[in-house]
Amino acid sequence: MDKRVIFAVAGSGKTSSIIDRINDDSRCLIITYTDNNTRQLKNRIIQKLGKIPEGTRVYSYFTFLYSFCYRPLYGYGLKTKGINFNYPLPRDAQKTRKDTRKHYIDKNNRLFSSRIAKLLIEFGVVPEVIQRIEQFFDFVCVDEVQDFAANDFNFICELANTNVEMLLVGDFYQHTFDTSRDGQTQKTLHDRFDKYCEKLVNAGFSIDLESLSHSYRCSPSICSFVEEGLGIEIQSHREDEVEVYLVVDEQEIEKVYSDDSVVKLFYRKSYSYSGNVENWGNTKGLDHYQDVCVVLNPTTFKAFNSGELAKLAPTTKNKLYVACTRAKGNLYFVSEEILKETRDNS
Amino acid sequence: MQYIKKLKIINFKRFKKFEVEFTSEINTIIGDNEAGKSSILEAIEMVAHGSRNKVETIGIESLLNKDSVTEFFVGGKSFESLPEIHLEVYLSDDSNPDLIGKHNSDNASVSGLHMIYYPSEDLANEITQVLAEDNDNFPFEFYVVKFITFNGEVYSGYRRFLKCLTIDSSQINSEYARKEYIKTVYNSTVDHAARVGLKNEYRQQKGRFKENNLKTINDDLGDYDFAIRSGSKFNLETDITLIQNEIPIDERGKGQQCFIKTEFALTRNADKKAIDTLLLEEPENHLSHTNMKRLISKISGSHQNQIIIATHSSLISTRLNLRNSILLNSSSDKPLRLKELSTSTAKFFMKAPDNNVLEFVLSEKVILVEGNAEYMLLDALYSKETGRSLDEDTVHIISVGGISFKRYMELAKTLEIRTAVIRDNDKAYQANCVDNYVDYVSKDIKVFSDTDNARYTFEVCMYQDNQAICDDLFSGGKIIKSPLEYMLAHKAESAFDLVDNHEEDLEVPNYIKQAIAWINE
Repeated sequence: MDKRVIFAVAGSGKTSSIIDRINDDSRCLIITYTDNNTRQLKNRIIQKLGKIPEGTRVYSYFTFLYSFCYRPLYGYGLKTKGINFNYPLPRDAQKTRKDTRKHYIDKNNRLFSSRIAKLLIEFGVVPEVIQRIEQFFDFVCVDEVQDFAANDFNFICELANTNVEMLLVGDFYQHTFDTSRDGQTQKTLHDRFDKYCEKLVNAGFSIDLESLSHSYRCSPSICSFVEEGLGIEIQSHREDEVEVYLVVDEQEIEKVYSDDSVVKLFYRKSYSYSGNVENWGNTKGLDHYQDVCVVLNPTTFKAFNSGELAKLAPTTKNKLYVACTRAKGNLYFVSEEILKETRDNS
Repeated sequence: MQYIKKLKIINFKRFKKFEVEFTSEINTIIGDNEAGKSSILEAIEMVAHGSRNKVETIGIESLLNKDSVTEFFVGGKSFESLPEIHLEVYLSDDSNPDLIGKHNSDNASVSGLHMIYYPSEDLANEITQVLAEDNDNFPFEFYVVKFITFNGEVYSGYRRFLKCLTIDSSQINSEYARKEYIKTVYNSTVDHAARVGLKNEYRQQKGRFKENNLKTINDDLGDYDFAIRSGSKFNLETDITLIQNEIPIDERGKGQQCFIKTEFALTRNADKKAIDTLLLEEPENHLSHTNMKRLISKISGSHQNQIIIATHSSLISTRLNLRNSILLNSSSDKPLRLKELSTSTAKFFMKAPDNNVLEFVLSEKVILVEGNAEYMLLDALYSKETGRSLDEDTVHIISVGGISFKRYMELAKTLEIRTAVIRDNDKAYQANCVDNYVDYVSKDIKVFSDTDNARYTFEVCMYQDNQAICDDLFSGGKIIKSPLEYMLAHKAESAFDLVDNHEEDLEVPNYIKQAIAWINE
């Protein structure tokens, strides 16, 4: 059975590559990280088929982990009541041994979100999870795989032993969230792309860097900016040119800012600005923007000017990459400081 | 097609621990009063409906097994040892992950539904205080009920995984039964999307009625309007009913209602809209013999639904194939299934004249006799021999008609009923009474007959052992024949005369003595 991880670039049709595989009689399990993404995937399936096929299930990761794996197979005896998502883990739970109840479950009988996967692994439930997946599905898809971290990454690796076709898609450089964290567990997972791939290969997955290496969304102009500026490989299916530049003229800044057809993307705290605004990190997976204006905070503005964007901290760089690659049309950059001044003056 | 494979019951009503398997077609539960037939149907209904309100209205006090409460007090009271009710319905459909998991006492990852009535953990402190009191105060009030699938997911009446319909002739006029019936058949006939559309249309019609028909009245009312109520209590599904030939079926007699409702439910099985499981509670009540036979033929002709019938009626249990029977015994928690019975024997009882099969299968000790003469005399002979009555010793006499002994013996073997067969040797003891039954006798089944081929029937034996009485009773008057010839020609009549006149002083033929002694060993 094919077990493949496709590393995709932004706007290359990750979601479509999953949707294309679904038809009326599919017995397909689709796991995404966020609820937002789950809703989007469901909508896309409904657009295509008019309904979610009977044999197909779309779960957000924690629903899958808790309601499909843990609860049916191991929940009856433990009498737990839901999940505790607080981070970090309470100190006393951190110090417990991995064969004790307290290691996984809090005082109110809730499971620690970061250790559900670990519980399944440590208590030998994985073979039953695999059996259960094989019973209901012929095909497993995991979207946004780069966000799986710590015990959750280990769990996904364990699932490589499932005797059904598996397709994991993600974009290493769009890693902006972690499903969970747990001390030293897989702490350095996302430091280097080659090491990351090695772990997946060892688990039994093959790596595919070709299938989704070209973006439909972004024009070659944006792609070459991302490759040269951020050092992230991305190519385009398109041949048209768009404008990519730093806006410096105050009047033009004002014009871009007040134009609601251009989305303004901020490093953070976009809520303190009015109009069509959003944070970089929140736009992952969104595909409805035309022209985009990326507002650079002091750190990134400095790096932009000195041509050292590629050296930014990985999380910041990844978020910036996400923001830049939202644009189907033009991509503008504006310094947040200058924008603020302009706003204060007017 | 969804059906119930197994029901498991813990601490529910008379069952401490009980398990029964069902087939996908007809299942007849037979048993004495108080054997728990109705409790089984009730358990299935509760789990299928998933209504907390309904279960909590009945209350834990009347549902919890009495022995489990007693044991709780004997075993030292603690929160952990409080008894819980578990009703587990194991289902056939293994394609829905929402139903499948290990939330069952088999600890197997299978499909099913589970009702748990348990002491609330949130009230553990309060319960512990109640238990600390120095009396036999049981914390019934602290119990709560939940419905989960074997996956562990909570479900309620709004999301039914098992379409189950109960027709209980004794409850047939209750408001709840009426509503449930209409709702279930309507939901199974009209799919969800169409129901929502109709409901919407109905509400609009009410609005139009107000506009068109109440307008003149409302025009005179100024700021006030009369309108037709709508909302959750006044909608299509609360107003809908079922009529047959212009008569609402609720207004029919109980028997007729039971018949129509069952018949209608059985015909509702076009493709996927069928009712999964039909529960029939003692359908024989209120039904005439003719209607019962019609009902039986409807039921046996239905192959789409699972049907579970609780019955006292021999007619129903035999006509619907004894092999489908599940026998409940009030003294044991293990149901007996008759599916090991041979097809030909099951068929025999289906075709045989109305019979006493149910009486037979519900007995522990049975004496089978050939005909009415033996049947009438045996009561007297038994008392003469033992000084006790048949009822005192719970021995049943069943008259089977000579040739069918083997059918009953097979049944006795399956059910381990101690059975004495009393028959005539018909002038060939070895062939008729020994060789004939080689494959049928066992430590619990034995054939008794006179070994002397000259004493070839019951009448000959009775005559020879009670010659003075018989000569006196059966000669003179209009009788021309010899006393023995008369007895052979009028078996039942002469037996009756013997019982009527000489109950106390009859000599018991030796082989019958042996049978009576053996049955009580």
